[in-house]
Amino acid sequence: MKRIKTWLLFSPLLVAGIMVIGNPGSGTEPPHKTAELTTPDEAFDVMMQVLTHKRCVNCHPADNYPRQGEDSHKHLFGVERGVANAGMAATNCNTCHQDENNNYSGVPGAPEWSLAPLSMAWQGLTKYEIARSMLDRNKNGNRSLEELEHHLTEHALVLWAFEPGVNAEGIPREKPPVSKEDYITAVKEWIEHGAVVPDETTN
Amino acid sequence: MAQLFQMKPPTKMNISFKINGKAHSVDTDGDAPLLWVIRDVLDLKGTKFGCGKAACGACTIHVDGEAVRSCSFAAKFAEGKEITTIEGLGNAENPHPVQQAWIEEIVPQCGYCQPGFMMATAALIDKNPSPTDEDIDDNIINICRCGTYYRMRKAIHRAAELKNSTTSNS
Amino acid sequence: MTTTKKKISRRKFIVRTLLGGTGVILGTAYLARNPLRRELNKSLNAAEPPFMGNTDTPLVWFEITSDNKVRLHSPKVEMGQGTFTGLAQLAADELEVDVTQIEMVHAETITGNVDGMSTGGSTSIASLWQPLRELAATMREMLKLQAAKQMGLEVQALEVSNGVIASGSNSMTYGQVVDGVTEWEIPEIPALKDANDFKFIGKPVPRLDLTDKVVGTPMFGIDASMPDMLFGAVVRPSQIGAKFISADATEAHNMPGVVRVVEEEDFIGVVAHTMIEAENAKKVIKVEWQTERNWSTQDIEDLIKVGNGDPMVIQKTGNAKKILEDQESNDNGDIITAEFKSPIGAHAQLEPNGAVAFVESDKATIMISTQVVSFTRKEVAERLGFDEEQVNVIPTYLGGGFGRRLHTPNAVQAALMSKAVGKPVKCFFDRKEEFQNDTFRPPTHHLLKAKLDSNGMIEAFEHNVSSGDVMYGSPLVPGFVEPILGSDIGAWRGGMIQYGAIPNFRAVSWRVKLPFATSWWRSLGLLANTFAIESFLDELALKNGKNPVEFRLQQIQNDKAGDRLRKVIEAAADKANYTDEVVNGIAMGFAASTDAGTPCAHVAEVSIENKQIKVHKVTCSIDPGIAVNPDQVKAQCEGSIIMGISASMFERMYVEEGQLRPIIYGPYQMALMRHAPKDIDVIILENNDKPGAVGEPPLGPIGAAIANAVFRLTSQRLREMPLQLA
Repeated sequence: MKRIKTWLLFSPLLVAGIMVIGNPGSGTEPPHKTAELTTPDEAFDVMMQVLTHKRCVNCHPADNYPRQGEDSHKHLFGVERGVANAGMAATNCNTCHQDENNNYSGVPGAPEWSLAPLSMAWQGLTKYEIARSMLDRNKNGNRSLEELEHHLTEHALVLWAFEPGVNAEGIPREKPPVSKEDYITAVKEWIEHGAVVPDETTN
Repeated sequence: MAQLFQMKPPTKMNISFKINGKAHSVDTDGDAPLLWVIRDVLDLKGTKFGCGKAACGACTIHVDGEAVRSCSFAAKFAEGKEITTIEGLGNAENPHPVQQAWIEEIVPQCGYCQPGFMMATAALIDKNPSPTDEDIDDNIINICRCGTYYRMRKAIHRAAELKNSTTSNS
Repeated sequence: MTTTKKKISRRKFIVRTLLGGTGVILGTAYLARNPLRRELNKSLNAAEPPFMGNTDTPLVWFEITSDNKVRLHSPKVEMGQGTFTGLAQLAADELEVDVTQIEMVHAETITGNVDGMSTGGSTSIASLWQPLRELAATMREMLKLQAAKQMGLEVQALEVSNGVIASGSNSMTYGQVVDGVTEWEIPEIPALKDANDFKFIGKPVPRLDLTDKVVGTPMFGIDASMPDMLFGAVVRPSQIGAKFISADATEAHNMPGVVRVVEEEDFIGVVAHTMIEAENAKKVIKVEWQTERNWSTQDIEDLIKVGNGDPMVIQKTGNAKKILEDQESNDNGDIITAEFKSPIGAHAQLEPNGAVAFVESDKATIMISTQVVSFTRKEVAERLGFDEEQVNVIPTYLGGGFGRRLHTPNAVQAALMSKAVGKPVKCFFDRKEEFQNDTFRPPTHHLLKAKLDSNGMIEAFEHNVSSGDVMYGSPLVPGFVEPILGSDIGAWRGGMIQYGAIPNFRAVSWRVKLPFATSWWRSLGLLANTFAIESFLDELALKNGKNPVEFRLQQIQNDKAGDRLRKVIEAAADKANYTDEVVNGIAMGFAASTDAGTPCAHVAEVSIENKQIKVHKVTCSIDPGIAVNPDQVKAQCEGSIIMGISASMFERMYVEEGQLRPIIYGPYQMALMRHAPKDIDVIILENNDKPGAVGEPPLGPIGAAIANAVFRLTSQRLREMPLQLA
């Protein structure tokens, strides 16, 4: 596969093109470019294209309602966060969501299916705000940078975003516009370079 | 036109679990919904199919004491688990407090969704012995088309009462 | 007592053991009525639903078993409405058995006890009120005559209770009496019990199916099975108007578990060893459908407009048309007009449609949830080229009916698949197919006009309703009826004006043909028509600051129907302490309707919470005439109110890219536990000498009652279902 500089790959025009390809129903894989990430800021951008994607943000709401679907509507049936981020006492996340996607029902699943705690609310934040929140040990579940990298690159629930399965109609869910490999590479590179959140005024 | 996902070929596997206290071992497609193993292999028909999308709750069972919608639960995940269906909750001679309450309040109409509601309710009062109206609203989110919710709410409160009285007596 | 000694003839009375017990087959002279001779509008819309039983074959009604139980073969199916319990109560009182001695079973068509029409229209109890009690009473007297003979006593000396015939210490159970008897003496129809002597009728007997339904044992259609049964799946279209052209099933043949691909002129299906295998194989069948256009919601709304389609005046008193067309009044703004709309509604019953069928060389057996047992049999027989007698339809419990099971083409599909593989086949819809291939409640558009007199009372009133069809296209309505009647009775059910003291009124039905199937949905047009009329009445009352309850009462005519309606309205308003004031953020909304002869009124207590309409309490009063089972009358009212809340506040199908959507619960929003009122107070009045409709009438007023309350709270007049705040 042809190598392309990431700045080119993620220019707004191309991103728009990729979004179209990634629309629900197309079933097309996001392009996997074994990216050659030239700067940490570019790595940051690649990472954030995933973390700001609905597959991630739907479970990082700023209120007590999980979101679902390509339009990020409130979870149907009035499903709520509950005390432990895993739903209500009797009807909890695992009443419907199991350790893997269910292709018969179209119910998504992964181990530890749950909402991110309210301290990790991303809904409505800019990518810079999300990144700063992610680095804040008061908010990120007291994770060190190393633990954060592990969480972002190895945690099954996080990586579910790249294998989101099909919806109730059997139509594949939209995936983030970056391949899993590129995302992982980007996260590692960004953290390796000190996990610096770029200055949003110059970006 | 949207492209539909195609199922991968079934992988037959042997799955062992306990259902209503009895050990079973079945050879089945591990990805097939447990609902159909319960209904068509084990011939326990009290657990109902409503939507197959974990939306209506008619197929609710207990897996290790937790309420689970069995249409969305792959059979392979049942391995080694204790499963309870409406048939194992209680019977006519010895009804579970939830069933007793359902009888006292004369809840069912067509009756089709009722096993799912009773299983969800049994899980609720296990976790929350005295649910408030709000707890009921938040936890019991199955669908009943006949509109028996009004009697169900009364029956859920009554079931909690009955369960608490048997617990305190024992 | 006069008795007629009759030699048993096969056509009249037979004792047989075919059914496992001792059966008494009653001749059908009692039921020999030809309902089609009745004025059709009347019989379908009004208070006297006939029992459209089979009139020329022997019927098995009762079997008496050796353990002294009575098995009643019901021609009406149990879909939650409690008809089994009500019919058992009717029979028990005349048979002199305890109601729990009666075991209700669905009559298979092979027993002959087939309802020629349907279970629907809230007519089951009403239509069998007289015939079933007469049958039971006759049977009791037959048993007494026989016992007298066996005991060597005069029949007058015998007392009966709980199925035991006794004279002093001498006694026989019914089970003992029938044992071995081949010749019966048949009395004239005995006088029926006086209402004061009822032991079960009028009592809140717990549902007979209660315990079974609570422990999970009743058999619904989807639970039926036969030995060696296979599973079928039929490919069904998503597009409106799609016609099956051809299919490529090459891949499906090779899918695991597949036994056979079945291709017929109008569908393609696959039979496999398990349901999942059949469903998986179905997914790889490529079907070519032909569709003529890609319909949208807007297209449908453009069709459903008063002024489109065929109009028919369905009700006319005085000269409303002329008064309301008066140009000067129009110019002066004296004529008040309003429009209302209702959406496409889905049945959404929890048990999907389907059937288990086994077709053998000379007979077919169908197990199915159906509301039209005889039509299911007819359709299967016709398609297989069998006589109807060769097809035995075994009805099961219905996982909800609501009118959805008045069409059962699924029985034919299962039968053809069974015929192809030579084994029993079970075949069911999936949920998406249910939502896209439903026989929907048609959308409606209403245009109302009125002119008030100088006292603020209604001088002239007109209701125009445009709707898709309800009864046409149904197997229940023969084709010849359409040109005779013109309008669609189902569509305008509830569309007539029930306030007969209004001097000038008329109702006009505009019939529109839609490109998808619309049909019977619990209460038919009643919910939408009452929403429009009763919302408008509130507007008219408030125009001159009148109390909406008083306003209605003053325009009720003085006749029996009017008296019953008046009492129902007064009862609901009194019990709820109806007020126009908003108290603690809660407002009351009032509405009333008369459906199938049963008047009903609701007071809804409503608030706005988080910008959502919340219904806290509904006070409902209903006059079904005689309430055979007050508990089940209440249950039907509660259920109708909650289903009505669901339909009027949440439910809506839309049309996008030629498809009816949504395809799943959730996106198809319905009332959940949290939306049901925490209090429903039902008042039963009994101002008639026979039982009437119960299962549908209480759906009528709920939408308007809520909307009228919302107006008090917000000054927003909601003109469209589902009711949503601006």
